[in-house]
Amino acid sequence: METLALIETLDRDGQPRQILRVSQWPVRIGRAIDCDLVLDDPHVAPLHATLIGGEDGVHVVPAPSLNGVRFGRATVAPGSAPRLPDSGLMTLGATTVRVRLRVPDEQLAPEQRLVDVHQIERRHATVLVALIAFACVWEAFDLWLGTVPGTSGSVLARNYLSAPIALALWCVAWSVGSMLFQRRFAFWAHLHVALAWLLLGIVTTAVAGQLAFALSMPSIDKLGRIVFVGALAMMLWRHMGLLLPTRRRTVGIVIGSALVAGSGLLLFSRSVAQEPLVGDLYLGTISLPGVRVARPQSVDDFVKSAAPLEKTLAKWAKPDDDDDTPAGDED
Amino acid sequence: MSFLVARRFSPLGYDRPMLWNRLLSRHRRRLIALLLGAVAAPWAAATAPAAHMPAPASPLAQPAASAASASADADDRGNLSASARRIYEIGRPRLLQVRTLLRDQDSQASVGSGSLVGANGLILTNYHVVSQVALEPQRYRLNFQMVDGQSGALQLVAFDVVHDLALVRMLKPPADLAARGTFAFRSPVEPGKSLNLAAGLPAQGERIFSLGNPLDVGFVVVEGTYNGLVERSFLPQILFSGSLNPGMSGGPVLDDKGHIVGVNVATRRDGQQISFLVPAEFAQQLIARGANAKPITGSVEAEMARQLLAHQQELTARFTALPWRETKHAHYSVPVPQEDFMRCWGSSNPSESKGLSFERSDCQMDTAIFINEQLRTGDLSVRHEVYDGSKLGALRYAQEAGMSFRNEGMGRRTHDLTAPRCREDFVENQGLPMRTVLCLRAYRHLPGLYDVAVLSQSVDAKTEGVQGRFDAHGVSFQNAMLLANHYLKGFAWKRSP
Repeated sequence: METLALIETLDRDGQPRQILRVSQWPVRIGRAIDCDLVLDDPHVAPLHATLIGGEDGVHVVPAPSLNGVRFGRATVAPGSAPRLPDSGLMTLGATTVRVRLRVPDEQLAPEQRLVDVHQIERRHATVLVALIAFACVWEAFDLWLGTVPGTSGSVLARNYLSAPIALALWCVAWSVGSMLFQRRFAFWAHLHVALAWLLLGIVTTAVAGQLAFALSMPSIDKLGRIVFVGALAMMLWRHMGLLLPTRRRTVGIVIGSALVAGSGLLLFSRSVAQEPLVGDLYLGTISLPGVRVARPQSVDDFVKSAAPLEKTLAKWAKPDDDDDTPAGDED
Repeated sequence: MSFLVARRFSPLGYDRPMLWNRLLSRHRRRLIALLLGAVAAPWAAATAPAAHMPAPASPLAQPAASAASASADADDRGNLSASARRIYEIGRPRLLQVRTLLRDQDSQASVGSGSLVGANGLILTNYHVVSQVALEPQRYRLNFQMVDGQSGALQLVAFDVVHDLALVRMLKPPADLAARGTFAFRSPVEPGKSLNLAAGLPAQGERIFSLGNPLDVGFVVVEGTYNGLVERSFLPQILFSGSLNPGMSGGPVLDDKGHIVGVNVATRRDGQQISFLVPAEFAQQLIARGANAKPITGSVEAEMARQLLAHQQELTARFTALPWRETKHAHYSVPVPQEDFMRCWGSSNPSESKGLSFERSDCQMDTAIFINEQLRTGDLSVRHEVYDGSKLGALRYAQEAGMSFRNEGMGRRTHDLTAPRCREDFVENQGLPMRTVLCLRAYRHLPGLYDVAVLSQSVDAKTEGVQGRFDAHGVSFQNAMLLANHYLKGFAWKRSP
């Protein structure tokens, strides 16, 4: 007999759980054994609905029931017999049902090549190994910078391991998220994302500090900090992208808005406190003598160049509104 | 190091948590904290009801002369005790407690002491005793209480914030005011002759007597010794070896004839019986210009700024006139001040240290001017650290030097001061290139006054360097620039001998 339609019940992930080949209409759906499609759902009536095929598609006739039939969020009025939407989706009780109707001369979408995640990971493996190696060297250098000669090996090891462990835990947490949404652990993919963006941020900040010192331009240091925050936001977005690949756009908008709102709030509070909007009060980097490119000023010129501070401070000193600032200590 | 001026002195008018010098090295700070703990316990005991109540005062005051003769009968009990008793008799009718009360209730915010020094109930006390009323008259008011219980309201008449003195006047003097008389000064004002600080001072080792009401427990006489003026102090202060306690601030200090030689003002928390008095001369100057002044009703800020500006002008002139001291470092000349009115402390880390070795020098003035509980001003400090990073190598040395350079605090916006605003660049003086930051903060209520900080780190060598910091509190913008210039020109590179 000719197949007129396929009726599938879908699980939470949208995968078919139960498939019924339809060769004649009507089709009765419900919990009772004599239905054509028997649903194991306590929120469904013994006879919940009847599907009738017609010229223009399939019509749904809801039977009397507590929970009714829904198309998306819209409930189908009892006594009516509306046409099933083109998506073919409806909800009976707590069960989602999809109807795929036979269409004459149907043009199916071409077959897609299988995306083998592991293959992609393998392709990225070289990059990942390079990133890990670079991170290890960077971490070792950073550690070496911060310790004095003759620091004991156990202290070094402990300090050395703390960052990799923290990073691993971070990636495990995201991988658990991937497991939840994507049914795969994806640890290496998350590690790739975290390492790439963290390193970009850290290296940019360090280079910006050195450049700012070399050229005596503190604004470069501030720019480096902005890049760092941007890199962190990108990292979050990419992590989320691995969890919800179909929602990248939405997630991007959410993270972007949070970034804008957060920095707006921070800038506002800093301007109220008369603090520099980005970064520190002054450039804290001291580098090797050879790094310096900018020519030094004479003491007289330098002190003279501080004259405009008077005007700004006069503006700040205005006893405006707020004596709300705590009159407390400072250090 | 911070903009908050660290004081070694604590004003006596405040029975409040103690402050101590934050600029001290960690080790010394710990030592002082220990001593403070020991001081706190007797305080607790002192606040318990004790037999320190003043004897009921006789309604009639005895003039100084008759008091002196009355003491003759007590001679057999020993001269010292007899003089103290005589001093108390002289002081009793003219001594009072100055209370700062909340405007709308009778709760006292702080207490100090005062003395009758002029006609119509003119009273001499410390500025810091009346500072709350002077700065926030809408929240506080002043009251007095005499030894015999007479009390009433007070009005602020004049103040000398630099020397921490104030004049207040009784609104409704007690009926027997004339009979009480007033305290006389040891060196009276002679018309047409300017006062002479030395003339009003006792002889070294002379026994003098401090009067006041410590901790609000009752009026006391404290015997002590005059030890001359405090050494290396920019503002002259008498060094008094006697126990002054909070609440005695503003009380008079008398010689054995009952004449005022000074006014109680401060004590050292980290010592015993190391107390400080304002020399009587400054009180006499204040009385000369303020005795007939009208009560102050408006804001005191303009006048206070005027006095502080005059002070900083003199301080800057004297400081910049002094040459920097020779430093012994092989390569660097570093600005280290003369110890004319500053005190320097040095320290270094152990020589066996495997990391950065450094030597540190920390110079500051002992006298800072009290403005309010949070703000001390009118002082300077100069500090430097000389680094030797040869054990570290160039990269690690740069890292360490950067850390030390970065974590210098420049302060935040407070009730009294704006946030700091800085200018930074490479600066070279006499062959020495430095990374230099110049930060300024303006006083929000005292127009024309600034705090200035200069931080400078040498960037000429791979594994050695010097980092210096200069701070001046409460100076004009022009003088801030002058001082910064003077300081930075103290750095130089020395050719090795």
